[in-house]
Amino acid sequence: MKKIFIAICTLMVFGLTNIEAQTKTSLTYGVGFGMGDLGDFISKPSWRGATIDFRQMTTDKIGIGFSLGWNVFYEEKDFDTYTFENQSLSGKQYRYSNHIPMLASFDYYLTAGQKINPFIGLGTGVMYSRRNTDMNLYTIEQDAWNFTLQPQIGIEIDNNLSSSFTVIAKYYNGFAAGDLTENQSYFSINVGWTFKS
Amino acid sequence: MSRLFKILLLPSAAVLLFAGCYPGGPDFTEDLDVVYTTFNPEFDFQAATTYSRPDQIVIDVEIDNDGDTIYEFMKQIYADQILQRIDANMANLGYQKVDVSANPDLLLMPAAMSSTTYFYSYWYCWWYGGYWGGWGWYYPPYYSVSSYTTGSMIITLSDPTSDNPINQTPATWIAAMNGLLTGNNDVSRVLEGIDQAFEQSAYLKTN
Repeated sequence: MKKIFIAICTLMVFGLTNIEAQTKTSLTYGVGFGMGDLGDFISKPSWRGATIDFRQMTTDKIGIGFSLGWNVFYEEKDFDTYTFENQSLSGKQYRYSNHIPMLASFDYYLTAGQKINPFIGLGTGVMYSRRNTDMNLYTIEQDAWNFTLQPQIGIEIDNNLSSSFTVIAKYYNGFAAGDLTENQSYFSINVGWTFKS
Repeated sequence: MSRLFKILLLPSAAVLLFAGCYPGGPDFTEDLDVVYTTFNPEFDFQAATTYSRPDQIVIDVEIDNDGDTIYEFMKQIYADQILQRIDANMANLGYQKVDVSANPDLLLMPAAMSSTTYFYSYWYCWWYGGYWGGWGWYYPPYYSVSSYTTGSMIITLSDPTSDNPINQTPATWIAAMNGLLTGNNDVSRVLEGIDQAFEQSAYLKTN
């Protein structure tokens, strides 16, 4: 009986190892909080955002892949007067800032194979940023391709063997480029699901 | 979950997010109202005390086959409200309204228009050869309100004593209120725009 129990346990361990994910695809909804220049431009958080993360597991604990995201920040400013040199313009401003990071990413999973699996990671690549300032029927548009670093920490909580509830805290830092002469950075809390195959 | 389903699910969700959740903009036409002002920093407004203005507001101009120019004026019931509000703001700043024959320090010209095309032709013809004659008017190239298109109210202050070889007088102050005249018979938005134009132009205050 004892031998059978040991054999079953051994099979289970091997089984779990064998079905450990080879790839992970995460689809998460993200709430963004602008920081620095972006936070000055739009103080309100972005409630519109999503990220797709794909990782190829090279070992149980290491995944490499890509991350594709989008967040749009928006704020309707109250009627105000903006003065530049000898010109003044009053009205309501509608401010938009779109950010589409496209990153190569690396994650390290701390407790691979466990039900709760925290991880840390880093992404690097480019982020397309487009800022629009609308007044009346006109818009001032500025855009940039920012070189970007994006550290993250997260946690996967297994729902079953093929999917996990996932929470990730991401910090995007896009370095100054193009029309945007200040760094474009924001912090994002992402919640969603990871599908393993 | 099948692989095909996952392949379809992710892009579909992304498209829905992109298309359905993009933030909106203005909800009402009033949200589009803007008031623009600019001034000539070389002009000493504190030295000016009097102004004169026409008692009608041109809203359109037609040139017939004979080359004659026909002006269309705003209905007086609306023009009076606008002119009175302009006068009240000028009085608050310390200016006195006088007849054009009394050599005013400033000439004030209000206009409402629906097309930028009329902006130059109307102003130049009307001012140079029409209403007051003699003085000209030109649009200083360093001001940038040429893109005003529909439903705009323009107020210009100019210096009649300015001397130059082509007998034109430059604008010393321009106020443009865009989006205020939209066919509605209520001019309250125009009046608010006029108040705002003067409020954001404290440098006009005279001694």
